[in-house]
Amino acid sequence: MKRYAYYQSCINESMTREVDRSIQLWQHDLGIEMVNLHESTCCGGSNLDYVSPKHFALVNARNIAAAEKLGMDLVVSCNTCLMTIRSAKKKLDESPELKAEVNDLLRKEGLEYRGTSEVRHLLWVLIDDVGLDAIRAKVKTPLSRLRIAPFYGCHILRPSTVLGRDNPLEPTSLDLLLEALGGRTIPYDHKNRCCGFHTLLVAEEESLNVAAEALKEAMDEKADCIVTPCPLCHTVLDGYQSKALKKNGLRGSIPVFHLSEVVGLALGYSDRQLGIRRHIVTA
Amino acid sequence: MTDSSKQHIEEKRDVTFRVHRFNPQVDSKPYFDDYTIKLEKGITVLRALNYIKEHVDASLTFRAFCQAGICGSCAMRINNMSKLACTTQVWDELERTREPNVIRVEPLRNLPLIKDLVVEMDPLVGKMQQFSNWVDSKMPEEQWGRKEFLVSEEEFRKYDKATDCILCASCVSECTILRANRDYVSPAVLLKSYRMNVDSRDASHEQRLAGLVGDHGVWDCTHCYRCQETCVKHIPIMDAIHGIREDAIERRGVKDTSGARHAEAFMTDIGKKGKLVEATLPIRTNGVAWTLKNLLPMAFKMVIKRRTPPPPLLVKSTSGIEQFRAEFREMSGHVAKDHEKKSGE
Repeated sequence: MKRYAYYQSCINESMTREVDRSIQLWQHDLGIEMVNLHESTCCGGSNLDYVSPKHFALVNARNIAAAEKLGMDLVVSCNTCLMTIRSAKKKLDESPELKAEVNDLLRKEGLEYRGTSEVRHLLWVLIDDVGLDAIRAKVKTPLSRLRIAPFYGCHILRPSTVLGRDNPLEPTSLDLLLEALGGRTIPYDHKNRCCGFHTLLVAEEESLNVAAEALKEAMDEKADCIVTPCPLCHTVLDGYQSKALKKNGLRGSIPVFHLSEVVGLALGYSDRQLGIRRHIVTA
Repeated sequence: MTDSSKQHIEEKRDVTFRVHRFNPQVDSKPYFDDYTIKLEKGITVLRALNYIKEHVDASLTFRAFCQAGICGSCAMRINNMSKLACTTQVWDELERTREPNVIRVEPLRNLPLIKDLVVEMDPLVGKMQQFSNWVDSKMPEEQWGRKEFLVSEEEFRKYDKATDCILCASCVSECTILRANRDYVSPAVLLKSYRMNVDSRDASHEQRLAGLVGDHGVWDCTHCYRCQETCVKHIPIMDAIHGIREDAIERRGVKDTSGARHAEAFMTDIGKKGKLVEATLPIRTNGVAWTLKNLLPMAFKMVIKRRTPPPPLLVKSTSGIEQFRAEFREMSGHVAKDHEKKSGE
């Protein structure tokens, strides 16, 4: 059983609780265990870095140091947390002065940021550590009936200098996993585009236009559902779906699943167990 | 046949360019023309387009000049990504086509179309004028041409990368928010504005910044990083955008715009609980009236599905919060000292 330090994203503890719930259900089936990091704090959500770059470095050095103390990689299931913590790590690894300054503070609670733990998305762990063949062998209910529109979201791809796992122009990781689960993925332009989440409260109209365009393309391409590895993308594409479509004069609806839910479905868990009934758009 | 001549033949292929066409004088709507030509490995997309124009269809219209990635004239969308035709290898593009051997060539997005692959750059130039994207000299006019304006290496380093911009508008074409609203300031203009604001010779910093935090300004960027990823000169455009935001918070405080209030909420919540209090985020960003108008209709559905974020009192502080708060406060002390040092310089 390979163990990982699991970073608890704010949104997964509040609005999208089904993400962590579904991971808990199937993790042991795939020979992995997520150890919750109760001492971790909010990563700053791609905002703290310009409010105060030094506090941003401190909180994320602390998040990573907590994983390092356990000798484990830090695993994240929200794209923005992934990008944010990885960019803090990059800054810390590139600046010995900054690293020394935060370690001076962290030392008081017995923590030290060394830079030894990797910060990885759950999707990457499933592909690189568990392996697609091993996952394929565990599938009980293949997703073979589904035509899936994979929606990667921005912060698992860009900036590629911080992420670097997929080619941001032609990402394949999510497609490969969905195919291993028996699904058929469709090529479409919005696969690597934006959901609009980060401006929902600041420029709502623009955000809803962005979301509507993505939803429209998936529906035009006759996808049965959208699957995303990011709970923020899910919040827009599911929670704001009817508002976005209505505002843009569009009809119809399309279910949106979290990555962790479709893994659970393929491994034989029910929609009730996985929390899929909590979605706003009925799946 | 020698090995080298065999290799030469193998590296010739028939390639189809599916090119966007539109002549507003005769066409009611745009369409695509397919041009299939035999090409050798090593040819750029611009050379292929030149070949088509010279030998196949003289009516095909596109902009190009330097052919060396310097002037920025030949930016266009090639296989769904904005880039310079003159620095893009056909063979590289063949590896990422959706249909085998077919390369799609389209005009830049988010700018008005003139003809085929040519777009109108005036809206971009207009925004650059709006935000005074030039150095407004601090030097009194009578000294112009008589005195040198010295810039230290350290001062120059702040905008060194930003000066690499060749105004090709690839970032403008790929911008998510500009696609959603043409009034948005756009990444190229934010980059230029940042470059001018950090220039030690410039006198319009405060005025430019006041414009940048206005409607459709810097706070509307959705951090998708498409601009940075598409930049043909690899300029970290998002660093410039974040730089303007950081500067805005430092000089104008955190209360004057919804963007600044939203960003500050993260700082406040992390400092208090270590966790974000999502339930009150809309109110803190936009006030009660906006929240009731925009979110109340959705709240009902969310309550039924048990999707509402917990009220502030039920958001549990992170474990070890006391020690964390002490570290966070101590870091605030470091930041205050840094500011003192900076303003003393």
